[in-house]
Amino acid sequence: MTASAAAPTAASAVVAAPALRVRDLSVTFTGPRGAVTAAEGITFDLARGEVLGLVGESGSGKSTVGLAAMGLHDPARTRITGSLEVGGTQVVGALDAELRALRGSRVAMVFQDALAALSPFHSVGAQLAEAYRVHHRGAPRAEARDRAVDMLERVGITAARARDYPHQFSGGMRQRVMIAMALINSPDVLIADEPTTALDARVQRQVLDLLDELRREHGTAVVLVTHDVGVVAHATDRVLVMRDSMQLELASTERVLTAPEHPYTRALIGAAPTLNTVPGTRLATVDEPEPKPRTAARAVVADARPLAEVTDLYVEFGGGRTWSGRRREPTRAVRGISLSVREGETLGLVGESGSGKSTTARVLAGLQRPTSGEVRFEGRDISGAAGDAALRRELSRHAQLVFQDPYASLNPRRTVEQIVTTPLRVHTRADAAERRERAVELLEQVGLSADHLERYPHEFSGGQRQRVGIARALALRPRLIIADEPVSALDVSVQAQVLNLLMDLRDELGLSLLFVSHDLAVVRHFCDRVAVMRHGEIVETGDRDEVFDRPSAAYTRELLAATV
Amino acid sequence: MLSYLIRRALQAAVVLLAISATAFALFYAAPSDPAVIACGPKCDATQIAAVRESMGLDEPILAQYADYVRGFVAGRTISDVDGTPIACDAPCLGYSYALHEPVRAAITSRFPVTLSLAGGALAVIVVAGIGAGFVSALRRGRPTDRVLSGLTLLGASVQIYFLGYALQYLLVYRTGWFALPGYTPPGEDLGAWAAGLLLPCLVLGFVNAAMFARLSRAQLLEVMHEGYVRTARGKGLSPLRTHLKYTSRGAAAPLVQLLGLEVGALLGGAFITETVFGLSGVGKLAVDAVVQNDLPTVVGTVLLAAFFVVVFVALADLVVAWLDPRVRLA
Repeated sequence: MTASAAAPTAASAVVAAPALRVRDLSVTFTGPRGAVTAAEGITFDLARGEVLGLVGESGSGKSTVGLAAMGLHDPARTRITGSLEVGGTQVVGALDAELRALRGSRVAMVFQDALAALSPFHSVGAQLAEAYRVHHRGAPRAEARDRAVDMLERVGITAARARDYPHQFSGGMRQRVMIAMALINSPDVLIADEPTTALDARVQRQVLDLLDELRREHGTAVVLVTHDVGVVAHATDRVLVMRDSMQLELASTERVLTAPEHPYTRALIGAAPTLNTVPGTRLATVDEPEPKPRTAARAVVADARPLAEVTDLYVEFGGGRTWSGRRREPTRAVRGISLSVREGETLGLVGESGSGKSTTARVLAGLQRPTSGEVRFEGRDISGAAGDAALRRELSRHAQLVFQDPYASLNPRRTVEQIVTTPLRVHTRADAAERRERAVELLEQVGLSADHLERYPHEFSGGQRQRVGIARALALRPRLIIADEPVSALDVSVQAQVLNLLMDLRDELGLSLLFVSHDLAVVRHFCDRVAVMRHGEIVETGDRDEVFDRPSAAYTRELLAATV
Repeated sequence: MLSYLIRRALQAAVVLLAISATAFALFYAAPSDPAVIACGPKCDATQIAAVRESMGLDEPILAQYADYVRGFVAGRTISDVDGTPIACDAPCLGYSYALHEPVRAAITSRFPVTLSLAGGALAVIVVAGIGAGFVSALRRGRPTDRVLSGLTLLGASVQIYFLGYALQYLLVYRTGWFALPGYTPPGEDLGAWAAGLLLPCLVLGFVNAAMFARLSRAQLLEVMHEGYVRTARGKGLSPLRTHLKYTSRGAAAPLVQLLGLEVGALLGGAFITETVFGLSGVGKLAVDAVVQNDLPTVVGTVLLAAFFVVVFVALADLVVAWLDPRVRLA
């Protein structure tokens, strides 16, 4: 018996009812420390084949709404009120057996991190076949297998790979598998929760296009949960903006992008630089939706001398010999690149994941030993810094790092004062009072205050933590800051704050920066010069306008075209 | 796969060699003289010297050890206290002058006891330990979970000799609900075999099950929040099927690894349990040999225990690799 046959009344209601009808939906988590409302008063309709963008920053409740449509909240710890109907079937308060008939059959979900969301223990073919069989009881195994293979082929994965496991696929292919699995029973509604957030631009574009094609084929209505305004503009018909678990506005995508009603929406849209924003301008933030333009244009001496440079750099991992004497093929992360960061400039190092950009940054920071090639800082050979503690220590006085993940890169057991002053303790003879004074100065420089000295990292938001990380990096007044994806883990409006801060600081302090990023729009906004990396090689390097307006490499053009 | 097996076998050989050498060296350094013990209390100095020579104890330790290893690989002839030759086939573990029998025979005759005890205890560990952990995790925070968690805490904190004697007193002597613990070969009387081992297996299993219950509960609770478990629910699978197919599998690896160690350790002998219930297994043999300074038996039992641990740890790794395709055998 198929699922649709199980609910004949609902099937006839589909014609009249919208695919998804949400009225005054509220979701409250009841925990030991009291109740937390994650979504409140959400009301919208979703027609067949329509794409609704559910937009907001992390913690705004957008994923909560998505999970509520699946009935996936733990009933023991969640209170849901209001109404949520999938094709006329009420989800709020439904029994688990009713929800099971619905899930995966009439409403399905695609999660952000496909590697975590797919079972590591079963082949992708088996996982798809299972999704089919759950709702086609009694269907022969062969039928489910054929269906799974068909669906995989539909998303561009060959039948031969159906036996492979998720970890054997690339990120983009895994997300295709997720999508194929969600659509195998042709659901009425698809909830896609940040389906492309972890993907590189080109892959993101492919996945969004695929999603769009399949939506047309199946007539599926899609709720696209995202924080990315570019994705919203590219892929949605209407937008629902959420903030602090409330519904802020609901309108057509065009309307929201061009004439947003709410200042917050305006800030959210203005916060992310695009390929059309004027580089170097202050970005809008939630506190400052209409920022004052920066006064002076950024002046960079064109032929400043190089501060840090690598020449003909190679980095290989692995290699060596197996115990039986066979030679292992090394991973060639960086293959003969040369680049330099000049005094006072910001060099953007762009590339997709696995292109070798982070490895290059680690070499310049003295954390990774190069396999061959020259590495210099102020003309001095620092290629041995990774194995020479004294040299690395000296280098770290002048070159400091800002990391991607502000949660992982700060020691949770140390106060902000301890974190920020550690470099001073290691490198200077400043006493406790002097160190504290410098810490206050640094915190004020990054927009925090002396009140924060005694606090621990977990008491801060992601953006504040990244400020602490920047303050730590600035403690020794370094000449070079190496920032590896410093804003990619942050929400757009927080990203805007941190970018604004970095722009202020580099003007104020005359810093040189190596800015590693996969986000072309951010790099274009922030950097003076750009180097584009692919497969461990530099395919193009030049001034910002040159690279972005007249890209010479085909790969750069491809990347630009894929940026949504 | 083949290269993995070869590597693990080589590894095992190295471990066993190192352990046997250590045990040998330790006992060579011990203050008491094996020749005196072998000869008996009535021997005079010349007799002891003769015994020492016939046992090969006057040779340097390296030569003695080389003899031992050669005997293990190819077999050798050993002379008894009085000089009569004893043939010892490979794998020869030496001759016990205290027991007056080859070490291998001494172990082989006691091993069925240890095997039965280990098997029964293992069943208790898997059913009561891992089972309790599973139920606890599914009923997290409810009364069932509290009761089971309390029981496992009891199991983790109570000592075998106390629990063993207490239960033996209560269940055997006071009420007669359980048969008197003891070992009857299963070929002789299967019922008596089971009845005699029931209490020892329950006690040994219960005490060791506690750790598994706590670990499996913690593992399952952690895995329940994994993305793939949510995906499985999102497909429309029932909670029970989700747990059986996804959560358990995700939680299995550390349990299997610990279980491998546990089985290896159990097969090496459970001295306290064997002593409490008067069973003569390998554990008791080993400890008696230490007390009597019976070097060949000590080395033999130590090697046996190490062998089982090495083998079952390697097997556990194979099972983990089979459960999780991401794991590569190395």
